[in-house]
Amino acid sequence: MAISNPFRRKPIRATEVAVETQTEPAKTHEVKRGFAFYVEYIAKDKPALLGTVIIGAFLVFALIEGALQEAAALLHQSPYNANLGTILLSSNPIALRFSEQLLPPSFKNFPDLLLGSNFQGQSLLSSILYATPHDAVASLLVVGSAIFIGMFVGTSAGYLGGWTDEVMMRLTDAFLALPAIVLAITISVLIGGGFTSLLVALTVIWWPTYARFFRAQALTIRNKGYVEASKLSGSGWLKILVRHIIPNSVDPIIAYATLDMGTVILTYATLAFLGIGVTSGYPEWGYLSSSGLQFFPQQWWYSVIPGVVIAVVVVAFTLAGDRLQDLIGGRITY
Amino acid sequence: MSVSDDGEDIVSVEDLSVTYRSVYGPIKALGGINLKVKRGESVSIVGESGSGKSTLGLATVHLLPQNASYTGGRLMLDGKDVATMHGRELMAMRGNTAFMIFQDPLNTLNPVSRIDAQMLEAVRSRAKHDNTSFNQEEALKEAVQKLEDVRMPDPASIIRRYPHQLSGGQIQRVVIAMGLLMRPKLMIADEPTSALDVTVQAQVLKLLRELQREYNMSIIFITHDINVAYGISDRIVVMYAGEVVESGPSDKMTKNAQHPYAQALIKSVPTTTKKQGRLTAISGSPPNMLNPPSGCRFHPRCPYVMNVCTTTSPKETIKDGDAVRCWLYG
Amino acid sequence: MVSNFGFFVTRRAINALITVVLLLALVFALLHILIPSPEAMARIIVGNPRASPGITASIIKANNLDAPLYVQFFNYLWNTIHGNFGVDTQLHIPEVDVLKEYLPITLELVVVGQIIGVLIGLYTGAIAAANRNRAPDYGMKALYLTTWSAPIFLVAFIFQLILAYWLNLLPASGVVDPILYAPHYVTGMPLVDALIAGDWVYFWSALQHLLLPAFTIAVIGFGLVTRIERSSMIDALDRDYVKLAYMKGLSKRKVVWGTAFRNALIPIITLVALLFATSVGGSVIVEVVYHYHGMGFFTVNAAFNYDYTAILAFTIIIGISVIAANFVADLLYAIADPRVRLT
Repeated sequence: MAISNPFRRKPIRATEVAVETQTEPAKTHEVKRGFAFYVEYIAKDKPALLGTVIIGAFLVFALIEGALQEAAALLHQSPYNANLGTILLSSNPIALRFSEQLLPPSFKNFPDLLLGSNFQGQSLLSSILYATPHDAVASLLVVGSAIFIGMFVGTSAGYLGGWTDEVMMRLTDAFLALPAIVLAITISVLIGGGFTSLLVALTVIWWPTYARFFRAQALTIRNKGYVEASKLSGSGWLKILVRHIIPNSVDPIIAYATLDMGTVILTYATLAFLGIGVTSGYPEWGYLSSSGLQFFPQQWWYSVIPGVVIAVVVVAFTLAGDRLQDLIGGRITY
Repeated sequence: MSVSDDGEDIVSVEDLSVTYRSVYGPIKALGGINLKVKRGESVSIVGESGSGKSTLGLATVHLLPQNASYTGGRLMLDGKDVATMHGRELMAMRGNTAFMIFQDPLNTLNPVSRIDAQMLEAVRSRAKHDNTSFNQEEALKEAVQKLEDVRMPDPASIIRRYPHQLSGGQIQRVVIAMGLLMRPKLMIADEPTSALDVTVQAQVLKLLRELQREYNMSIIFITHDINVAYGISDRIVVMYAGEVVESGPSDKMTKNAQHPYAQALIKSVPTTTKKQGRLTAISGSPPNMLNPPSGCRFHPRCPYVMNVCTTTSPKETIKDGDAVRCWLYG
Repeated sequence: MVSNFGFFVTRRAINALITVVLLLALVFALLHILIPSPEAMARIIVGNPRASPGITASIIKANNLDAPLYVQFFNYLWNTIHGNFGVDTQLHIPEVDVLKEYLPITLELVVVGQIIGVLIGLYTGAIAAANRNRAPDYGMKALYLTTWSAPIFLVAFIFQLILAYWLNLLPASGVVDPILYAPHYVTGMPLVDALIAGDWVYFWSALQHLLLPAFTIAVIGFGLVTRIERSSMIDALDRDYVKLAYMKGLSKRKVVWGTAFRNALIPIITLVALLFATSVGGSVIVEVVYHYHGMGFFTVNAAFNYDYTAILAFTIIIGISVIAANFVADLLYAIADPRVRLT
């Protein structure tokens, strides 16, 4: 057939032939799914599997690196001696090595110079490993607290309705009118620099989306019969939240949070690139990239490589999150 | 292009199969369909959802969904094999030979253009295929004329509106008028009235019947309602699970149906003359087309089921002028 | 019809104004939650963290910082409405003059970048939809998942490296060739002002300098358009009106681009407004990398100098631009979709 038929339907359409009049009882609201279900679901899609493996590696590296740095701090040792770079690559991410300044990526001294070195002769690979805990903590903590805040604000607004709801919605409108980067710059300038204040700034930016999501959930659920029944039997708002809203939100939240963790890392890296929230001497990924700017374009890899690392990690989150979005029909309602 | 032996038939279907690819495996939506529609004849295809009646309609004009394909047999439309058509041939066939009206009036007109633009598009397309010149004013006049033909009140104002400003019945009239502009030999109507109010439904059906005579078109009327089918067509074809189970003249079918499924369909129609207070519902549920029943596909729901029904599919036999596929008569 | 549309416009305009007031309230609240004491605020206003109590006291008095919060808020609202964003603590000129200089440059960059991005998105999205679940579809998806996951500065580096430094096709940085005299200030946008003045040399130079930053903004943003365009196009292609268009004997090209595409365009309009915020955010980085001296570049500098009036003024202006973009999108939506006007 020379001309392809343009009517492309979702595969489900074909099965409607078979299933549309089946008399199964309507699906009840709670779908109990174990951890295994999500693992299996992701594993069926190769790009998503790749993404999940990268995320796993990133989190494991971050955990070990973070534990080493914390242990060093507890023992009043310099964290610069206890880190993956020093242990695995025998290249301290902070020690100056003037003989090895600005070297391009190579297999020399493998794997020390795999990603090249910076202007102080430090291995970029080692520096990148050293900074993993910050990115992991930022993504987990910001998304986690945003979900938590959004859940309480959103469900109470949706559940109480009226004025509370109206004010909340307009407030999120105002929040969403500001680009994340601009708002983050503003907040971190106002409360001063540093990692913690940056986390606060990012959380302040991130909660409104989740509040909207949970509000929508609360509104749908409020009108459903089983919540009415539950209300009549005397359960309070908190119980409805725990019993009905949270179990119903698992799938969309997992999908959205996975994508969002990538976005947080991206925003965090972008702010670090601008030098916002950067502690001096701490090799943030974004900051590494911008510190290479003065050697651009001659030693271009210095700026580009940290950027590529960020991209790889964020792509991993995107691939996994994209797959999980299919689980909820590719649509996030908030 | 081969010309059909019987020039009398506008549609001639022989042993047609259509298969959907799905994530669960292939689904044979149509299996071994035989059907003939004469010029000027009105034929209804009756069946419940999932019986393949809509697929048959789409197959006739080569508008099958992307995941469906012709997998056997032949479908001749005005003497040409539809399955092998492509490009310009398709464009010429659609509209000129056959026109199709769809079920959902909310979805059937382009929501972002006005009625006049959509109707003129039809005239322009016809002019292009006929190699005649297109005149905007004349075309507009013709469009208004056709709207009058479909008994549309105040066509001159209707034509300047957007689809969302019309009612469901008005939209279906506009679509029918659009079909008339194309002057097709065959009009296929896929449940055009099932989304309308009963009174509007009756008006649209009456209109179709009248227009069929006025324009001497053939009509294939797809419906789940055997009552409607009786009202509009000369012949009724009953489909079940992708197969034709019985076909015959409307009168005969409704008074004296042979196939147990056709009988059940007729029994389930509420009528004022029925003395008994109960309607008979067909027991059981439609078959799963991924894994259809063996033998006669109706056997799990059939009150007269015999051993042979579960193993072998019945052949078509003629019984009192009806073509029927049932072991009761084979 | 006309009166309906007028009513629609008025209602949307009022909504937009309310959101602007709430935005101001939000920024004000943020400011006072983060900096609760008048002394701290005064130190920020003078731009000196170690200012003496005498200085802070005079600043508090001059700016009414010890007045009740609602009084302060109304003062703030009043000043903002009158375009009084305060005096820049670093440059010691009214913030409005700084805005006049830098805002148009950024707006031009963002608008051009956005147009390019939307065009790329529409094209790739339609192609993906027309080839659903085949190689071009997967290719487009791989492309946009990568571009929307890449940090903006990485995209900027790669463009700069390849197109400017290696291939020498376009200038690597700046807004315009610095040896050229700027045309008379009308809108503040380099391209537009050059056009008005008929200064083609300046126009050509400004255009060359604009292309790389604009394409960078386009690249980070187009994925969302691709994704939505793909799904709304698939949805439109499935509708009965598309089948009816085929039944009129129209060609596939006419049906896909004339009927389906026109309908699939509608959700994109709302998306463009959403994307505008992202693009403005992205322009901050783009301006830093390309030394494109617009508002983003200035904001980053202001952040390092703790130039609080500048930061707040820019935040508000950006917020207002985004709300205005949403308002325009609402109007365009109503023009594109006749169903909206009546509701």
